[in-house]
Amino acid sequence: MKTRFAGVVASALALALAVAVISVPSSAQDENNGKGKAKGKGGQKGPSGPVVHKPVPRTPDGKPDLTGTWQSGGVSLTGEAGAPPLHPLPPIDNHPITRQALAYKPEFEAKRKGLTTLDDPTLYCLLPGVPRIQTNPMPLEILETPKEVAILYEAFRAWRRIPINDKLEHPDDLVPTWMGDSVGRWEGDTFVVDTIGFNDKTWIGGVGSIHSEQMHVVERYTLNDDGSMTWEATVEDPVALTKPYKTGAVFRTPIDVRVEEYECIENNPDPGHMKKAAEMGK
Amino acid sequence: MKHFLVLTLGLILLAAVPAVAHHSFAAEYDSNNLITLTGVISKVEWTNPHIYFYIDVKDESGKVATWSIEGYPPNTLKRTGFVKSDLKIGDTVTVTAYKAKDASNSGAGREVTFADGTKKFAGPEGR
Repeated sequence: MKTRFAGVVASALALALAVAVISVPSSAQDENNGKGKAKGKGGQKGPSGPVVHKPVPRTPDGKPDLTGTWQSGGVSLTGEAGAPPLHPLPPIDNHPITRQALAYKPEFEAKRKGLTTLDDPTLYCLLPGVPRIQTNPMPLEILETPKEVAILYEAFRAWRRIPINDKLEHPDDLVPTWMGDSVGRWEGDTFVVDTIGFNDKTWIGGVGSIHSEQMHVVERYTLNDDGSMTWEATVEDPVALTKPYKTGAVFRTPIDVRVEEYECIENNPDPGHMKKAAEMGK
Repeated sequence: MKHFLVLTLGLILLAAVPAVAHHSFAAEYDSNNLITLTGVISKVEWTNPHIYFYIDVKDESGKVATWSIEGYPPNTLKRTGFVKSDLKIGDTVTVTAYKAKDASNSGAGREVTFADGTKKFAGPEGR
């Protein structure tokens, strides 16, 4: 960033700052590398300038077409000192996300006390569940058909089938699972996904964010006219939470990125190292 | 001024996002102990969820110790311009890394400097 803009006139700096500001909503979801950017070492290269607005793409039946590769953050998109992003993101508008913190019932508050990152299911390469998987800093691909939407995640090689069902009816033979059972419907131009049937082993987001098998997640996917997609989720759990938890992210299409294989369990010595460090009191 | 306020708010949001891709950084590595090692690459594990490469580092007395350096996942590194063939066994590299808390000769790689001076990003800034 420093080198790139050295000697550039003040107006160019102002433009660069404006681009940085525009990129904030997306990078706020960056689970791994936000800090580097926050310190000003990063910087977005590539397409800049004004936000381009155009009608959202639509399928032949007139629904917004969510099909494509999306990502909400990650160093490969935001870049770092010494490693400019190869897959830059075009500038977008600011899309505020409604958030509401986790609020636990006393018995669940007690249950989650003492949980540490060593208890994180994803440390052992287990599926992150919903909504947590959405903000993983790896790409996902959405495939939309008139009857079903599928999401293929690079992270943890996860996938979700989301049959379209206007009554949002789930099968009546559900067995609790890591990713739950999803059904969806169109509400205007927003694709609403209703997910239940979770096991109680995933974390909602953040250390010790446990839940019960009664967790119910409602997600809303809305294409924006600047090429981005706003994703918002509301998590209800009548057993564990006193009020709904709300989260979300702005997804963008990284240039020249495709979902690739990520076989997490291949070589995972981290738990052993962390246990040893914990035993040593560090 | 408005831009600065928005940016500041954004930075606060960044600081508040707690999750990680696969594991906690702080539970395994010491963010306050960024070390610099120069050594010869002896082994490369271009694997998920993290890559590892091993370098033989000679101390002042000539004694050689093997260090294990962890990096981001292969796909992420590829997307930042760092690919498996960059790490050649026998090559000398200089690595900055956050030392492991378990006292082993290992660290979370931050940046790799190759013999020709090229620098490549290996992993995140310590948290």
